[in-house]
Amino acid sequence: MTVEIPKEKWSGQVREVTIGATAEDGGTRTQTLTIGGETTLPFLHFEGSIPHRPALAIEIRDRKPDDWSPILLETWGEAMESPAAWAKAAEEAGADLIYLVLSLTTADGEENTPENARRVVREVLDATGLPLAVAGPGQADVDNELIVPVAEEAEGERILLGICEEGNYRTIVAAALANNHLVQSKTPMDVNLSKQLVILISDMGIPLERIVMDPTTGALGYGIEYGYSVMERLRLAALQGDSMTQQPMLVDPGAEAWKVKESKVGEGVPESWGDWQNRALEWEALTASSLVQSGADLLVLRHPDTLKRVKAMIDALLATTA
Amino acid sequence: MSRYIATRAIRGANAIVAEAEALLQKAIADKGADHPVAFPNTAYYLPVMYGMLAAEVTTLGQMEPILEHAKSLLHPLPDEKFWVPYLGETLDSGMSTILAAEAIEAIRFIYGEQPEPYPGIELTGVTDYSNFGGNGSGPPTDGHLNGPIDDIQLRSWGIQLVDGRMPGFAAIIGAAHSNEAAVAIVRELQSRSILTFLTGNVNGRSIIDQLVEEGVEMGFDTYIIPFGRDTLSAIYPVGFATRAALTFGGMKGGQWRDILLYNKFRVFAFALALGEVDDLKYAAAAGVLSYGFPVIADTVIPEILPTGVTQYEHVISMPWNEIEGATEEEKAAKLVQKCIEVRGLKIKVSEVPVPVPYGSAFEGEVVRKNDMRIESGGKHSRAFEYLFMDKMEEVEDGKIELIGPTFEDVEDKGSMDLGIIVKVAGRKMEKDFEPVLERQIHYFINGASGIQHIGQRDIAWIRISTAAADKGFNLNHFGDILYARFHEDFGSIVDKVEITLITEPDLHAEWLQKARDAYEERNVRLGSMTDESVDDFYSCTLCQSFAPDHVCIVSPERLGLCGAYNWLDCKASFQINPTGPNQPIRKATQIDEVKGYFEGVNEFAVQASHGVVSEVAMYSIMENPMTACGCFECIAMLVPEANGVMIVSREDTSMTPTGMTFSTLAGMAGGGLQTPGVMGHGKFYILSPKFMSADGGFKRVVWMSSILKEQMAEQLKVVAEREGDPDLINKIADETICTDVEGLLTHMTEKSHPTLEMDSMF
Repeated sequence: MTVEIPKEKWSGQVREVTIGATAEDGGTRTQTLTIGGETTLPFLHFEGSIPHRPALAIEIRDRKPDDWSPILLETWGEAMESPAAWAKAAEEAGADLIYLVLSLTTADGEENTPENARRVVREVLDATGLPLAVAGPGQADVDNELIVPVAEEAEGERILLGICEEGNYRTIVAAALANNHLVQSKTPMDVNLSKQLVILISDMGIPLERIVMDPTTGALGYGIEYGYSVMERLRLAALQGDSMTQQPMLVDPGAEAWKVKESKVGEGVPESWGDWQNRALEWEALTASSLVQSGADLLVLRHPDTLKRVKAMIDALLATTA
Repeated sequence: MSRYIATRAIRGANAIVAEAEALLQKAIADKGADHPVAFPNTAYYLPVMYGMLAAEVTTLGQMEPILEHAKSLLHPLPDEKFWVPYLGETLDSGMSTILAAEAIEAIRFIYGEQPEPYPGIELTGVTDYSNFGGNGSGPPTDGHLNGPIDDIQLRSWGIQLVDGRMPGFAAIIGAAHSNEAAVAIVRELQSRSILTFLTGNVNGRSIIDQLVEEGVEMGFDTYIIPFGRDTLSAIYPVGFATRAALTFGGMKGGQWRDILLYNKFRVFAFALALGEVDDLKYAAAAGVLSYGFPVIADTVIPEILPTGVTQYEHVISMPWNEIEGATEEEKAAKLVQKCIEVRGLKIKVSEVPVPVPYGSAFEGEVVRKNDMRIESGGKHSRAFEYLFMDKMEEVEDGKIELIGPTFEDVEDKGSMDLGIIVKVAGRKMEKDFEPVLERQIHYFINGASGIQHIGQRDIAWIRISTAAADKGFNLNHFGDILYARFHEDFGSIVDKVEITLITEPDLHAEWLQKARDAYEERNVRLGSMTDESVDDFYSCTLCQSFAPDHVCIVSPERLGLCGAYNWLDCKASFQINPTGPNQPIRKATQIDEVKGYFEGVNEFAVQASHGVVSEVAMYSIMENPMTACGCFECIAMLVPEANGVMIVSREDTSMTPTGMTFSTLAGMAGGGLQTPGVMGHGKFYILSPKFMSADGGFKRVVWMSSILKEQMAEQLKVVAEREGDPDLINKIADETICTDVEGLLTHMTEKSHPTLEMDSMF
């Protein structure tokens, strides 16, 4: 019996976005990362084209974080003492991109400074040939103060600058415009807000090929279904031809998964929860792999083993559908 | 276009192009055609030549074709007798002037005349010329003006101009009326974070000299940049603008049109001509106009008022002697205010300057009688608030005035009358937005910790807590709050805000009457607004975050189902946030007048509901009714046995004749699905003549939650009259009369409800 596979004909395509610049394009990266370009839903190769596989980034910090799980501290160990070493370790772990988050304060509690941000970015750029994304600590005024010098320092490298939000995107976009970088737009789990911010950002004159869209997600058990459904709807709209939803999507399952109790707490939890370490990794991996299914093009992770697991899943899915 | 201006600009351009040509020939003879030219520390070659003509000029010889081009843009003077259009000629002359000026300044670098020597001057932050020896003799060693702004500084300021922290830049040409005036003008610009570029002179005396004499610090750090003492140095601000478009607009050399438009719409700059305007200044001004930058002069010159090349007026004359003001500071403030208006600069007030914490977290705060210092409104006094628009020149931005006594002399926990009058003006302000903005007063004032605000119009009720009064909160702070918030939240429609607080009894009474007249006028206006009287309805997709396929269509006679957005709110919201959830929907062809089908509405519904809803009948519950998210104030539902509908209020938890409570019904009405016979809607829609008018209108209502009957008693009486059945409300049952169909039918028969005689609804 022959089975007719039903195929949907989509009119739209996700935009291709390239992060990083090699020497040829005025940068110093040894490789660049291109995401997007799909003309179908994830892994439906029989239906349309998926020119780039979902990419995996590792989050590093400008200093050893105070509030990360001991599991992560143990895994990265010494490397966390220097952003350069951490970036190198992340590269060795198989990351496609280094996602550097600047902290609000330095290790001794002082305010982070533009000079420090510049220095760290320079060190990371020198330590790895991977493309880079840099985000501020998430406080509008500090973000702007730190991201502008970072953009200058990394001129020519086509890095991804985070994080543009509805209330604070103009300075970051301006810095990207002035130094030829890309920006990450982030909106709280809402299709229309996502779309609107992309419109506002592109209104400032930055080409759509330089915007990556972060629709925000929740960890497994903590709102992932809501985030999943928003991403799914964004992607369906993109494939239906709604231009302002056609940006490739970035999500951060690492940060989400590592802040929930199931991954953070090892003691005083029911025995049936099982081994802490394994549980924590499963949590991040399951969060990430669900998001891959909902159309994520770039996922930010924290644990190197998770990266391996998600990569294995993507490999397997690509192998079966190829 | 003024012929006078055209004549002088064309004359100025002819002269300066000739001068540039002569200078270029001399330089080529002196140094050779291959001698390098450049503005130090900047990219984009000579920026105007590169931006406008894609010319990558690096040597003297390469400037020859540029000047040829400039010459081709020259025109004969307008004829004295025959009047022909000369806007094009004037703008051409402006362009040839700035090309010539750029050539001259570039050559002057070779001769060590740029940056302009100014012995003894010390600037705090200046373009660094130390590594510049390439094509000239290097900068003067004992002080010099800035010359072109270097790229690093361009980027730093550019980011602030692009992200809005810096509202724009002012290019001053000439010299002020007096040294005091010069200082006052510059300080006024500085206080508004407007970047100030200084150029030019009047009879050899420049505003730069004036500021030097007065000891004003200049340089990058103070945002006051002296470029040069002659008119030609105005090329540096023009180059700055060109480079901004190349850097931040992603434009390439030669995209002259894009570069000019970028400046018109995104770089909020203007030229301020101080003192006498000569031919060359007119010519330079014509060049500036091409960038969309208006010119404001403090002398008598002809004005060009229509908009076109600039967003608003082109040339404005505001003679210094005629500006009202007791001091130079007051005059300067008015002059700068005018510049801001003409260019359409948006002023940001970052913080609400009150002595108590401020934020939306305090909005719901209650001030109890015991904690209260004073109240206005309620039982013992009257408070009212009234916002209206006026002409631009009638509103003094930032003026906050209290007329009458403060509350210091009022006993503790006492009361006093208060009137809050807000006068606004704005290019995009419309009379219809008055009530929309006025209602914001409630939210704005409530944001202050220790202040309680209830109601609106003349039933406002405000309490100030003892804690807030102890911290120094006084009546004027209401003005501070409103000034800051109206600019912050409504800056796109409001350019000027003036607040008057009235406690003086006679004036209070007078303004209360004025306000009441206005409220009445607005009521009449709202009442007279019909769906037929407008071309556009508005969408509301605010709720798509949880009802992804639902779209509200808001028309003058059908407000949003949540009750929070009426047609005017949506219209204002679109002005403020053009990419937001309220978009205009052109009605286009009316397909069915009775049921309310419109081509434009259907098209929008298809797109916004992602193909789920293909048709919407604006006035029917039985056929393609509007969908609902879940926020509806009421649910109307068909009661088949009664040949009518019941209306359940969200506030009513009792059983209804359909055997379902509101919460059960909500599941059927919401979620963006079209369910014939069920409809979520706003409370006030019940009063509209368009309330399910296709199905028989209000007469079809057989049952209605008693709370609606109470809350809207007066208005419902009017509706009953309109429907020709003054006793109609009594014929409508509610939950106190019956909660089942049998009881409903008994009541209807008893009262002979009109729908019993009407056609079947289905």
